Amino acid sequence: MIDDGSGTVASARRARWRGMPRSLRGTAPPGRTRGPRWRLAIAAGSAVLAAAALSACGAASAGGPVTLNFYLYPDTSVATQTAVANCSKQSNGQYTISYQQLPQGSDGQRQQLVRRLAAHDGSIDIMGLDVTWEAEFAQAGWIEPWTGSYLAQAQADTIKPALETAMWNGKLYAVPDNTNTQLLWYRSDLVPTPPATWSEMIADAEQLAKAGKPHYIEIQGAQYEGATVWFNTMVNSAGGSILNANATSPTLGAPAVQALSIMKQLASSPAADPSLSVQMENQNRLAMEAGTAAFELNYPFVYPAMKADNPQLFKSFKWAPYPSVTAGVPAKVTIGGIDLAVSGYSKHQNLAFQAALCLRDAQNQLTAANVGGVPPTIASLYNNPALFANYPFHADILQALQNASVRPKAPVYQVVSIDISHLISPPRGIDPTGTVASMAGQITNALQSKGLVP
Amino acid sequence: MAVITPRQRASWTTANFVVIALAMIPVLWLLSLSFKTPAAVLDPSFWPAQWTWGNYSGILTSSQFLRPLVNSIGIGIISTVIAVVLASMAAYAIARLRFPGKTVLIGMALLIAMFPLIALVTPLFTIERALGLFNTWPGLIIPYVAFGLPLGIYTLSAFFREIPWELEKAAKMDGATPFQAFIRVIAPLATPGMVTTAILVFLACWNDFLLAISFTSTIDSRTAPAAMQYFSGGSVFTVPTGPIAAAAVVITIPIIIFVLFFQRRIVAGLTSGAVKG
Amino acid sequence: MSTTTQAVPGTEAVGPSKKKVKPQLTEGQRAERRLGLLLCAPAVVVMIAVTAYPVGYAIFLSLERYNLALPQATKFIGFGNYGAVLSSPYWWHALLVTVIITVFSVAITLVLGMLLAMVLHRTPFGRGTVRTASLIPYGIVTVAAAYSWQYAWTPGQGYLSSIFNNSAPLTSQTEAIIVIIIAEIWKTTPFMGLLLLAGLSLVPEDLQKAARVDGASGWQRFTRITLPLMKPAILVALLFRTLDSFRIFDNIFILTSGNNGTGAVSNLGYDNLFSALNLGIGSTISILIFICVAIIAVIFILGFGTAAPGSDLGKR
Repeated sequence: MIDDGSGTVASARRARWRGMPRSLRGTAPPGRTRGPRWRLAIAAGSAVLAAAALSACGAASAGGPVTLNFYLYPDTSVATQTAVANCSKQSNGQYTISYQQLPQGSDGQRQQLVRRLAAHDGSIDIMGLDVTWEAEFAQAGWIEPWTGSYLAQAQADTIKPALETAMWNGKLYAVPDNTNTQLLWYRSDLVPTPPATWSEMIADAEQLAKAGKPHYIEIQGAQYEGATVWFNTMVNSAGGSILNANATSPTLGAPAVQALSIMKQLASSPAADPSLSVQMENQNRLAMEAGTAAFELNYPFVYPAMKADNPQLFKSFKWAPYPSVTAGVPAKVTIGGIDLAVSGYSKHQNLAFQAALCLRDAQNQLTAANVGGVPPTIASLYNNPALFANYPFHADILQALQNASVRPKAPVYQVVSIDISHLISPPRGIDPTGTVASMAGQITNALQSKGLVP
Repeated sequence: MAVITPRQRASWTTANFVVIALAMIPVLWLLSLSFKTPAAVLDPSFWPAQWTWGNYSGILTSSQFLRPLVNSIGIGIISTVIAVVLASMAAYAIARLRFPGKTVLIGMALLIAMFPLIALVTPLFTIERALGLFNTWPGLIIPYVAFGLPLGIYTLSAFFREIPWELEKAAKMDGATPFQAFIRVIAPLATPGMVTTAILVFLACWNDFLLAISFTSTIDSRTAPAAMQYFSGGSVFTVPTGPIAAAAVVITIPIIIFVLFFQRRIVAGLTSGAVKG
Repeated sequence: MSTTTQAVPGTEAVGPSKKKVKPQLTEGQRAERRLGLLLCAPAVVVMIAVTAYPVGYAIFLSLERYNLALPQATKFIGFGNYGAVLSSPYWWHALLVTVIITVFSVAITLVLGMLLAMVLHRTPFGRGTVRTASLIPYGIVTVAAAYSWQYAWTPGQGYLSSIFNNSAPLTSQTEAIIVIIIAEIWKTTPFMGLLLLAGLSLVPEDLQKAARVDGASGWQRFTRITLPLMKPAILVALLFRTLDSFRIFDNIFILTSGNNGTGAVSNLGYDNLFSALNLGIGSTISILIFICVAIIAVIFILGFGTAAPGSDLGKR
């Protein structure tokens, strides 16, 4: 914090003052005594105490409805506020939900939550968790399992893979709120029929490159969670997985080698965007909107964005299912999204379960989908015409969701993800067999909580 | 003052201009980014093709940023005042008086200044939660004071050492107690040093990011650098470049004004301490 | 408060010839001690209250295997963490990156700071403007400046991105480190410049004039007169700059998040503490950083003879 030392050093034996004039000695120096400073200090101290008292006052509970603190990422759309208001009203005076924002970045959100939950903070009731956090939080006892009628309500009509993300050790620890999955977005003016496999897509792109047309394939290749998502999709689409079923050791193997070969092939072909190794979802979107790319593998948020930012290009902006690894075997795209969990230290767990179920009910999910751009987790909504206007691709999304893969579930997932992303990014440095071997070793260490993260 | 030849004038003008340009270009870039529309962010030109006030109106009308700004100013000022007061007393004692344990004190201050902050965040957080200080102003003020004290003590002891002993002795001869000698003779002469120290400590508090993001959870006590982490764009994936740049400019403006008014003091303060020969 | 009795001149141990006379404390000396301790007390109390437990706890944590996500597996393992860190290539790599960044940024800052000091010292007009402008990099919030640099270097978005041929300098290790060093230099040159200005302004003009009369060139005057007289100021500036540069964090955090092999030791500690929730390893890394910083301080103070603040009482 103190990032600048000061440091002028002591006196010179030379620069000696010859003493103050007699007239000044013992008299009050012009205008300045210590008096005002002391008073200022006391005033400041009182201000501090007053501020502290005021903030404490604010937290004092009234006798009325219970306040449930709901922690979620900052939502710029009105979807969350609408849901919060609706549910507070529907509770008939039992509770009011207070929407507290977390930092925008997923890492920042997790750190805030972890820090407070590890300290048994009782002021968190409901949290919006990223789908990869449940194993960690559940293992540490920070979130409550769902049982009985709450469990039944949570499971009803919910898309299976989304539910899968919230399971750990056979129990459900959160209720899926929204989800996300990637599609292939392409320029129909450059590519009349979308490719069905990765090899086709890379071949198409290379042909476009030869013809001097925009040809990049946009995908997230930066050293972050998005790269792990890409790798997870590829491995699962190749028929394998990263970890075994009870998360005790890595599986990887031949499917992983195949996945890495394709990623390496892309990185070394002219189809790769030169900024591939720094790109995240947003940069992919920007490149596509700028017209330099022909293909994009990204989440549906790019659709309304393209409509707003480049209406000209929007006319030829189409979508297709994520390309598969093996011809004829549909890809298993990694699922994302947010699940709502109840804190293990909440003082109102019963009410929190009810509130969470309300916050993610069909009506609120529909609003979030239309206004907030996040796909719902309730299956029947995908047949609801109210969704179609904003989601012309709803059928493809539902299909992708139902066939989706989840990221490896382990309490040390964060470490596993960091290890993976550091090995596969920048993608041009991948060596399929060598990288798989390193990955297996590092993941094994991570699962035993040994060693450092880079 | 010597006559300046036109050639000298030209070369000094160039030198001045180079310094100013190098110092200001990144700031001007932030300024330019803050006026760019989300579409204009795409193009790499230095000045925006399309100008908009939207970023500023967005953050300045939102309590999510205004309140953190107020928090930053308030917490910064209170921490600075307390730290300078405590540091003055300790620095005077170090520079002037003989008492046991002086090396221990200096060693402790050095240790605190050098110990990596990241390791202290978690235990401090636990203490603050236990004491109910989490997400309050004192929850940030107390650590800021503690971490600002080493800086303050060093700077001020250098200044106090600068002040000749004779003045104090003369005052004592005239019958003043050490305390009166301090207040009436030493303190006024140490004022430039105190102002400099206050500025350094304030800037350190204003700048802090790690503690601000770790010890706050709502805008009750969140400060401006931490608030920038909570801005969001149109979707979960969009990085709100415009609002972040606008926020960065807004939290820099007070510093620019501050520096503008105090640059004489800052430079005078740092150069009135002579170097040990 | 009792007034001290008039001390007879000569019995106080004043002046450069003080000896360690210590059989008995006079009334005056005892009062002085009391006052000294009293004045220091509040500062000491605050510092201890805030840092004693955390520092002690951090040291204790470094001897334990403690992962926040697996609290049941906590165990005391003595120096096991230190072994793990010191045998990990990640630690040594981060240390190398830190040393490289420190050496280059401090050296270049020294040169640029000296130039800045000379401009500030000598420029015949516009002094206020130049001073204000040059203090702004120091005053601006580090995180804000880092965002400015990050956007500037992003390919397709920033005005600097074309310098490296749009090749995303922030993802290539060498180029990213260069970018980080530039950001550090920009941020810290003003402070270095001011510290050097303090030293520069004490070089007597008469010496310079005399040398000029004797026919010394500008460069000779600089190297033979100015530099030697500025040596103490330079050493102090170097000491504090090096200590701070070694603990670099904010710039790297925003610019690259430490990815692609650009993380310094502080970033390594941060990642292990807050991302991996491995309090044991993270605390160990922090203690090792502290030891490195202490070694640097010792080298400067004992090796180069930098005056440590408080190392003497000055004239009494």
